[in-house]
Amino acid sequence: MQGAVLKGRSLWDDARRRLLRNRAAVTSMGMLALLVLAAGVGPYLTPFTFDQINKNDVWMAPLTGGHLLGSDALGRDLLARLLIGLRVSLAVGVVATGVSLVIGVMWGAAAGYIGGRTDEVMMRIVDILYSLPFIFFVILLMVTFGRNFILMFLAIGAVEWLTKARIVRGQTLSLKQREFVEAARAAGLSRDAIVARHIVPNLLGPVVVYVTLTIPGVILAESFLSFLGLGVQEPLTSLGSLISKGAQDMELAPWLLIFPSIVMVVTLMAFNFIGDGLRDAIDPKDR
Amino acid sequence: MRPWGTWTVAAAALATTALGACDSGSGRAACPAGKLCLERGNVADPLTLDPLKSTTIGEQHILGDMFTALVQYDAKGEPIPGIATAWETSPDGLTWTFHLRESKWSDGAPLTADDFVFAMQRLMDPKFASEYAYILYFVQNAEAVNGGKLPLTAVGVDAPDPRTFRIHLTHPVPYLLRVATHTAMYPIPRHMVEKYGDHWTDPAHWVSNGAYVIKTWVLGDRIHAERNPYFYDAKSVCIDEVNFYPGADAISAERRVRRGEIDYNWDIQSNRISYLRQPGQIPDFVHVRTWLGTVYIPFNPNAVPAFKDIRVRQALTMAIDRDFVAGKLMRGGQLPAYTLVPPGIASYPGSVPPHWAGWSFERRMSEAKRLMAEAGYTPEHPLKFELKMRNTNDPQLIYPAIQADWRSIGAVASLYPEESQIAYADYSARNFQAADVGWIADYNDPLTFLYLMKSTTGPQNYSDYKNPAYDALLDKADHDVDLTERGLDLAKAEHLGMEDATVAPVYFYVSKDLVNPKLTGWQENLPDWHLSRYMCFAGHKPPG
Amino acid sequence: MLQFLFRRLLVAIPTMFIVVTLAFFMMRAAPGSPFVNERRLSPEVERNVMAKYGMDKPLVVQYATYVGGVLRGDLGPSLKYKDKSVLKIISEGFPHSLFIGGMAMTLAALVGVTLGVVGALRQNRPADYTAMGVAVLGVCIPTFVTAPLLVLLFASTLGILPTAGWPAATQPLSSAWRYFVMPVVVLSLPQIAIISRLTRAGMIEVLRSNYVRTARAKGLPEHSVVLRHALRGAILPLVSYLGPATAGVITGSLVVEQIFQLPGIGRAFVSSALQRDYTVVMGVVILYAGLILFLNLVADILYAALDPRVRLS
Repeated sequence: MQGAVLKGRSLWDDARRRLLRNRAAVTSMGMLALLVLAAGVGPYLTPFTFDQINKNDVWMAPLTGGHLLGSDALGRDLLARLLIGLRVSLAVGVVATGVSLVIGVMWGAAAGYIGGRTDEVMMRIVDILYSLPFIFFVILLMVTFGRNFILMFLAIGAVEWLTKARIVRGQTLSLKQREFVEAARAAGLSRDAIVARHIVPNLLGPVVVYVTLTIPGVILAESFLSFLGLGVQEPLTSLGSLISKGAQDMELAPWLLIFPSIVMVVTLMAFNFIGDGLRDAIDPKDR
Repeated sequence: MRPWGTWTVAAAALATTALGACDSGSGRAACPAGKLCLERGNVADPLTLDPLKSTTIGEQHILGDMFTALVQYDAKGEPIPGIATAWETSPDGLTWTFHLRESKWSDGAPLTADDFVFAMQRLMDPKFASEYAYILYFVQNAEAVNGGKLPLTAVGVDAPDPRTFRIHLTHPVPYLLRVATHTAMYPIPRHMVEKYGDHWTDPAHWVSNGAYVIKTWVLGDRIHAERNPYFYDAKSVCIDEVNFYPGADAISAERRVRRGEIDYNWDIQSNRISYLRQPGQIPDFVHVRTWLGTVYIPFNPNAVPAFKDIRVRQALTMAIDRDFVAGKLMRGGQLPAYTLVPPGIASYPGSVPPHWAGWSFERRMSEAKRLMAEAGYTPEHPLKFELKMRNTNDPQLIYPAIQADWRSIGAVASLYPEESQIAYADYSARNFQAADVGWIADYNDPLTFLYLMKSTTGPQNYSDYKNPAYDALLDKADHDVDLTERGLDLAKAEHLGMEDATVAPVYFYVSKDLVNPKLTGWQENLPDWHLSRYMCFAGHKPPG
Repeated sequence: MLQFLFRRLLVAIPTMFIVVTLAFFMMRAAPGSPFVNERRLSPEVERNVMAKYGMDKPLVVQYATYVGGVLRGDLGPSLKYKDKSVLKIISEGFPHSLFIGGMAMTLAALVGVTLGVVGALRQNRPADYTAMGVAVLGVCIPTFVTAPLLVLLFASTLGILPTAGWPAATQPLSSAWRYFVMPVVVLSLPQIAIISRLTRAGMIEVLRSNYVRTARAKGLPEHSVVLRHALRGAILPLVSYLGPATAGVITGSLVVEQIFQLPGIGRAFVSSALQRDYTVVMGVVILYAGLILFLNLVADILYAALDPRVRLS
């Protein structure tokens, strides 16, 4: 036993080990890394820009006229548009989830920690917002204030935070009873400090899992808005817009539906598998 | 436990049921034995079934089947006698007298000239608030009555006897017969309105005087109509029942027509037309024809000061690749438009396009660049503005292309799509910088387009065009008794307007009909007006 | 129980009130008039139209009038469909939406629970992966991709099912059912995915629980253990999913009704929102909000009935 230091294995080490053993999750992480890379640098590498109209290239099949994945009804290169669309969809997913995360964690932690009347009122507000059908809420926002990219982030984010607030509140309620919070309170820490330093960090596990599963939900929500014509506007595009346009012309130009659909499904699956993997790793009782 | 076992059996059972009943899977609505049923795709639900309130094309297709006006369109789209069998005009052109045939409403009540008088008074009633009252402001006192300044009875129409109807005008209206086909001039069953008020159009107690009567209407589903036994020409009607289906998605409608679920739909997505015409597809279903409609872009000089500069307007108007837009994006036979009035319109010698219309696109682009540079804009220091547009399929396709053309001459337009009705509300309120307007003729006469640039027109003069010479020519035309001279005056006015370029015409609409060839009696025509009573199915003929 | 219902009602009323208020003012904040389309509208005519619908009065007065009407069960006339009242539009459309939604939920429950149970019993084996693969695909492929693909396959190519539409009232049931197949399947796919995952997770947990072990130890046959004991515990989480699921089906029905041209209120809602038909939009929102509140209540009661540990208080 000379000099050997026995290193304690933390919860997170365990979780990481379990996650890395999950083949689906690891493959998905690799896939996601590739997708993020493609969305990040891809648009700078394509021979065409996403809004470049090639008047002689209307509806070119893949591998013709220099269009690797073909072109659309305006003669625009599908590969270039797909990469931009992926970038937009990922951005919508991440930013809207971020917005929902911030609101949801704050709201839930505050309600759960303060408790009593405040909790009652705050959760009642969440219940009321829940009774507003999500789509109604977003459609009204988009109709009322015009179709605006930033607004869409906010609108979706502002709807998605509800579930997070509930989860976080539930966790907070149980955390509040735990010894280390009692200790902090006894040590005279202020309420805000306890929430910020002790409660929020301990919520990380369930929240991380939920976030990974929210991103694909948001991407789907955006595509749903695009289907109704309320999503991002031309010449900019997103996976949802590309698919809904592609589905219209599927007999004539099937590539416009097939390639965006594949990218969409792969992206959503990657997030779902990573989310599942994370959940199993952090809270291993299911597997 | 073997869940898959149970599951397989269930799936097999389901599959067997489905295949076993395969023969009746046509998807065509049930039709009573021995009857002929026509299934019409009608794009949208009617906003109203009251002819005097009707504003949409879909409504006019339904109401045209239900009512017969003084005159009506035949299968070729030409006005023919309807309830009026003959008419004459006074020498000064200010009084029209219509002689009515003896006919009945669908409940058996007699139809008299009084029903026409009543309809006109109702149309002009300020409380009734018809959006189409203005179309008949040329009737004596109509505008004053509609503005609440005179009583209803002051409207310049009367009925000297039950079979004679007279209209008194403020100025000669040589195109009156064409306006008379419009829903705003349909007769209204006075006895029903007196009984039910505004609810007289309820399908539960529907009364009209055309070939068919409405039986039921479920929003989003269908309007079901059946033959009217009291129709004056009922013997010539072949089809017994007609269903009108709403459905804005032209591609879905196309698939339904293809499968025989629907017989006729009056819209096709433009860029699918050439595909449908390929052999092996359904070439004999496709009917595309010039229509009386124009898509154009008005520039709002009060929102963007640069639009006051004729060089900027001309440059923007020149720098639209209309051949690409019409030929490759729309690709349905739409024609590039350099003028507002579409070809084929009645009483018109033809438009005179602006001087640059014959140039090649390259020459136009370089000239446009020069003009923009003169006005102080280059691709490096571009003019920036917003183009508000309708959010429907065709605009979504063409404006990114126009946006790209403009970018290369030094104008950066950002696109702002809105629901059509909202977009038009914004245009009327001048809450736009540049706009996407599609105008379909209200009646077959160039005035329906040329009014759009008259300074007294108000909200619909979107670019607030004001040219005294233009206005004078239109006023002169109102009083021209000779139709040829009138046409020449109107064409002169239009040419002035086009050279001033406050609006940029883009393309002329085409009517796009998808018709099952089994349907006989359907004929292509300019107003794109197709009454069910002229139609039949191959191998059948009307009872008379 | 009565006390519980009363308390829920006390909460539901202010909720509905807030929903109505929010909807009213958001909708009215939107630009554009509901009366204008491609045609000219002279200022006098426009004034007449606005006066007729009471839209010339101050917003607060309009709001008070509206809330008063709602309390009397009068949702006003549709601003767009001039011959129909909002109540009529809703009462015509809602049964269609309810029927399709109900069928879809039933199908989703049957298939979803089956897949979930199979997954749990064959955990980490090919059957599990297959079932969960189907579930993931259901979540990942948007309805507006599956719907046209199904139409292309079953209507255009095979010709077994109608492309779109709702059967006429006179259509016999033996052929009318064909119209419902595709909308119901498309609407249920995402729900199948969620339900099967919930069931699988619940089932795995329950199978490890003591009472299932006891049942097994007693020597009960496996199918009896699974169906009688385990399943009952495993579908508990599903019951509380009822509320959100309804919201999901409503959302999905907006697309499905559009694609299959069904005469439901989902389609009416989207078009009225885009056309600023305020009264219809608010009527539909009130209905949806009421429906979700009601189903949440049903879920709570069911939950208590199924789980003896929960008491309604």
